[in-house]
Amino acid sequence: MGSIRQLKSRIRSVSNTKQITKAMQMVAASKMRRAQETAKSALPYTQAALDILSHFAAQGIVWNHPWFVARPVKTRLLILIAADKGLAGAYNANAFKEYLVQLQADRKNGVANQTIAVGRKASQFVTRLKNVVLAGSYADLPENPECAQFHAILQTAQAAYEAETVDAVDIIFTEFVSSMTQTATTQRLFPAGFTKSEVPGNMPEAKYEPSVGHVLKAAAYRLISAQLFQALLDSRASEHSMRMMAMKSATDNATELVDDLTLAMNKARQGAITQELTEISAGVEAMS
Amino acid sequence: MRLQLITLAGVKVDHEVYEVVIPTVDGEIGVFPDHEPLVSVAKAGVISIRYNKDDGPDDLEYFAIGGGIIEITVGLVRILVDEADHGDDIIAAETEAALERALHMRDTAADQIDIEKSTQLIDRHAVRLKVADLNRRRRR
Repeated sequence: MGSIRQLKSRIRSVSNTKQITKAMQMVAASKMRRAQETAKSALPYTQAALDILSHFAAQGIVWNHPWFVARPVKTRLLILIAADKGLAGAYNANAFKEYLVQLQADRKNGVANQTIAVGRKASQFVTRLKNVVLAGSYADLPENPECAQFHAILQTAQAAYEAETVDAVDIIFTEFVSSMTQTATTQRLFPAGFTKSEVPGNMPEAKYEPSVGHVLKAAAYRLISAQLFQALLDSRASEHSMRMMAMKSATDNATELVDDLTLAMNKARQGAITQELTEISAGVEAMS
Repeated sequence: MRLQLITLAGVKVDHEVYEVVIPTVDGEIGVFPDHEPLVSVAKAGVISIRYNKDDGPDDLEYFAIGGGIIEITVGLVRILVDEADHGDDIIAAETEAALERALHMRDTAADQIDIEKSTQLIDRHAVRLKVADLNRRRRR
C-alpha cells in the first residue's frame, strides 16, 4: 500500500483529468447536437437532385454523359475522411481500418490508387503508409462544410475523373446511423450512380433549356456535391458523437479510480492510526 | 403553384406563390401558375417572389442565389441552388467590405486560379449587394 501522501497526489491528478474529460464530453455533446441537425438538412437537396436525374433516366439520356459511364477501373481515387484530432474513441481507427481494407482489395485486383486525405489525422496516417500516392490533404475544415475546401475536394475529384487519370472515385467516411451506431463505409462518387426512383406521373415531356447536356451536367454536379456534402456532415456528426461516448467512459473510469484510491487512502490512514495507537499502548505497558 | 427553394443547408422556401422570377443562363424567366414543364439551369442572380396576385412591388421577397437547377412541373417549381440568402439576412456594409476585398484580391492575383476565384467572389457579392439594395428600397 502506497503512502498516504502518494495516494493523495494521485487522487488529485485523477480528479483533474476527470474534470478535463467531463468538459470535453460536454463540448462534444453540444457540437454533436448541432452536427446532427445539419446532417439532416441536406436530405431534401439530395432527394430533389435524384428526382430530376430520374426524369433523365426515364428518357434514357443519362448514360451518354461521361460522369455516368463506368469504365474498367485501373486507378481509383479514395477520399478518406477522418478527424483533425484524436481522443474520439475508435472514430479514426475505424475509418483507417475501412481504408486499409479498400487498399488491400485494390492491391489484390491490381488496381493502382490515389488518396485524398481529409482531416489532419487522416493525412498523418496516409503519409506513414508505403506505396500510397497522396493526391491532396485538407485539414481544419470549418464546422459548416460548405466551404472552399469542400469545392476544392470536389473539383480535384471531378478533374481527375474527367482527365481519366482515375477511373473511379470513392469516399470513405463514417456514416451516422444513430447517436449510438456509427459505421465506417465506402461510397462511390464517380462514376455517378443512383437508384432509379419512380418517375412522377405528372411529368409530361419537359423542355430542357439551354440543352439536355447542359442541364444534365448541372443536375449531376448537384447530386455528386450533395453526396460529398452528406458524407462530410455524417462524418462530423459521428466524430462528435464518438468523442462524447469516449469522454463519457473516460469520466466514468476516472470516477471509479478516484473512489478506489480514496478507499485505499482511508485504509492507509486508518492503518497508520492503529499502528500509532499500538505503539503508544505498547510503550505505556513497557513503562508500567 | 408551390415553390420550393432548396439549398444544401436546408429548405429555404416551401410555399404557395403567384409569381417567381428566376435568372437562367438564357436570361430571366418569370414563372406563373400553369407554366409549361421545363428543366433549366439557373445562374447566380436575384430571385424575386410574389406570393399573392395583388401584392405590390413592396411585398416582393428577394433571394440572392448561386448557380442551380430549375425544375418546373405541373403545380410545382423546384429550385436547387448552391446557396440562397434572404434579403433580410444580408448585411449591406459587410457585403460591401467583402466585395472590396474580392476586388483587391483580383487586382493582386498572382495566377489564373486566383483570378477565377476572385471573379466568382465578386459576382457573388455583387448579387448579394443588389439583393440588399432591393430589400432596402422596399422598406422605404
